[in-house]
Amino acid sequence: MKTKPEDRIAYEKMLPGVLTAQGFLGNDIRPLAEIIMEDEQEFIRLGLDFEEVADRLDALKQAGEKGLGEPITVGELLVQTGDARGMLPCPWGDGLYHKNAISIQPADKPQEACVEGEDMLIFSDLSIHLLRVHHFCQGLGSPFRLDPVFLKHLIY
Amino acid sequence: MTQILIGPLAVAIISTVLAFLIAIIDKVLNNYGQVKISINGGKKVLEVKGGSPLLGTLAAEGIFVPSACGGRGSCGACKCKVTTDVGPHLPTELPYMSPAEIQKNIRLSCQIKVRKDLEIELPEEFFSVKKFQTKVESIKNLTYDIKEVLLALQDGQTVEFEAGQYVQLVVPPYGEITESVQRAYSMSSRPLDKTHIELLIRLVPGGIATTWVHKFLKEGDRVEVVGPFGEFHIHDTPATMVCVAGGSGMAPFKSMLYHMYETGAFQEKEIWYFFGARTTKDMFYLDELAELAARWPRFHFVPALSEPKPEENWKGDVGLITDVLDRYVQSTIDKSKGLEGYLCGSPGMINACINVMKKNGMTEDKIYFDKFA
Amino acid sequence: MINAPDVGLLSLFLASILTSNVLLANFLGTCSFISISKDFKSSMGLGVAVTMVIGICSAICWAVLYFIIKPLGIEYLSFIIFIIVIAAVVQMLEMIIDRFSPGLYLALGIFLPLITVNCAVLGVILFMQIRNYNFMQAVIFGFGSGAGWWLAIMLLASIRKKLDNNNAVPAGLKGTGITLITIGFMAMAFIGFSGMIAVQ
Repeated sequence: MKTKPEDRIAYEKMLPGVLTAQGFLGNDIRPLAEIIMEDEQEFIRLGLDFEEVADRLDALKQAGEKGLGEPITVGELLVQTGDARGMLPCPWGDGLYHKNAISIQPADKPQEACVEGEDMLIFSDLSIHLLRVHHFCQGLGSPFRLDPVFLKHLIY
Repeated sequence: MTQILIGPLAVAIISTVLAFLIAIIDKVLNNYGQVKISINGGKKVLEVKGGSPLLGTLAAEGIFVPSACGGRGSCGACKCKVTTDVGPHLPTELPYMSPAEIQKNIRLSCQIKVRKDLEIELPEEFFSVKKFQTKVESIKNLTYDIKEVLLALQDGQTVEFEAGQYVQLVVPPYGEITESVQRAYSMSSRPLDKTHIELLIRLVPGGIATTWVHKFLKEGDRVEVVGPFGEFHIHDTPATMVCVAGGSGMAPFKSMLYHMYETGAFQEKEIWYFFGARTTKDMFYLDELAELAARWPRFHFVPALSEPKPEENWKGDVGLITDVLDRYVQSTIDKSKGLEGYLCGSPGMINACINVMKKNGMTEDKIYFDKFA
Repeated sequence: MINAPDVGLLSLFLASILTSNVLLANFLGTCSFISISKDFKSSMGLGVAVTMVIGICSAICWAVLYFIIKPLGIEYLSFIIFIIVIAAVVQMLEMIIDRFSPGLYLALGIFLPLITVNCAVLGVILFMQIRNYNFMQAVIFGFGSGAGWWLAIMLLASIRKKLDNNNAVPAGLKGTGITLITIGFMAMAFIGFSGMIAVQ
């Protein structure tokens, strides 16, 4: 499949060690365009809209910031925001985002029992932008993947 | 027979001639010769070989401009002002520049190739930045996600810094990561100890450097460090310091506190330090700081937990650190000498604390912070 | 030696731009044509680059054809040799552009080395070979075709700029779809020139 130059450059930036330790692709070997296309179809199947999900995650982030770095209960979820020094550029080169990590998990489960990817979701300002503008949920196996099925289950 | 040879031979000769031409052109075009880089209006003048990016050229001459990505154009940290005209901003620089910066000719030094004599401006502090070879002397776990790393400088090197400054830790390739990067960490060691650098490093999910420190770094390993950088420091006024930090944000304050205690510097200043966390397992240095507060009348330590569990028997303040701060500034802290704010942490925490401080009459020009940005 | 057609140089130049425009009459070199015409400035830069490449390559390949390939009787290798020459010329052009205009170099990005496989370049050279042009004709034809390509991409870039802000384009056709349709219209318009000068 022929990839546009911007997508190819973005793909190179998503590999482990370029922008983040694990990269954005996990162990997914599909081409970028295919990952995005299949996730777009999942979203349609589940009746989700990218803008709306991004807005919701943004709202959760803002509510979680009130905890100033410590977990805080928001509705039925436990949200914790964490920040680190530095900025992360979007792989497509259209923005710089603050390095933060917002984790959400069901409030009724004890924190230590929650497993990344199974009960807990981690995202950042950059993930929200990738979702909203590029419809990119990250590759299968990436610890920060915003899986559509899991998203629907957790935040709706 | 000869027919079979002539074909490939002809192709080979043509290719060779063309390759030769390309090599000659490359030599001619990319030979920029010796160029002069004049820094800060002639304060320092370097004679260097042209052709390489400015960042690397300066580093080779011992001037270290901060960079997190090692010159690959993906962090935007290596900004410097270039007064000579080197052409319009490149598409790789634009995402990191604000319109004001573009006007002022601020460029990314990793994207500017040195092709002719240049005049640039760098902050004065960069001249005292050095690269240090260190060995890990100890790694201690302070909490489940924060480690205290003590580095011993090698080869007789010494470091001169002001309490509150930070260094760039050079992370070598490891695991699946093939290129080296640099990340900034505030120093928690005292300036008096010129042969050690101590860092408090919190594990960030997916972070390149923190994963390396927490999973790969061992005592005895060699580590490169560049620094010192930063403008966060104690201001020489008699005003009382109101300091707020949580987690690894404690680092610059640890440096400042012990420095003032051991040297008696800034004798008139009183210090209030607010340290917030959720439960006791997120707290550290509680005993050391409580003990310091007991010995040193100028220092007041206020740890606060936002959601302590009953079984922890927490006797200290309870609530969000901003609420605790609010209570104390309103009623307990002595304001007679004026108040200065010192903040270290995430922009969310800093903004919240600035609001509380302004609400209680403190002015923004007296609030200093080390934003994680 | 060469059975060159009896065509005046000026007519040849005009013909290669208008009546047998390498892009709009022969549909060669459309890949970067479509991609780069999004941006007017880059189109200008790429147009100049392609003109230089086709012109210079025509000249060199003519010399190689008549002084090396034909005497040695290795016509079966001519494609390979032409491509090698084109690749080398593009490489040299890249280095020159990088040296004198780094902004343009980065703006063109992957499309600069892609000129190597731009069918317009090889196409013009093969036309030159088939039609038995002499040296001057080859050079004029080369630069002329390049100029024709340049003209076409400038026209398309201007049209696309106007189309970009137009909401009448249906969503499914936006971008590449309407661009291809536009190219078709442009090609039909250029047929209007066909009565002027005939060179093939």
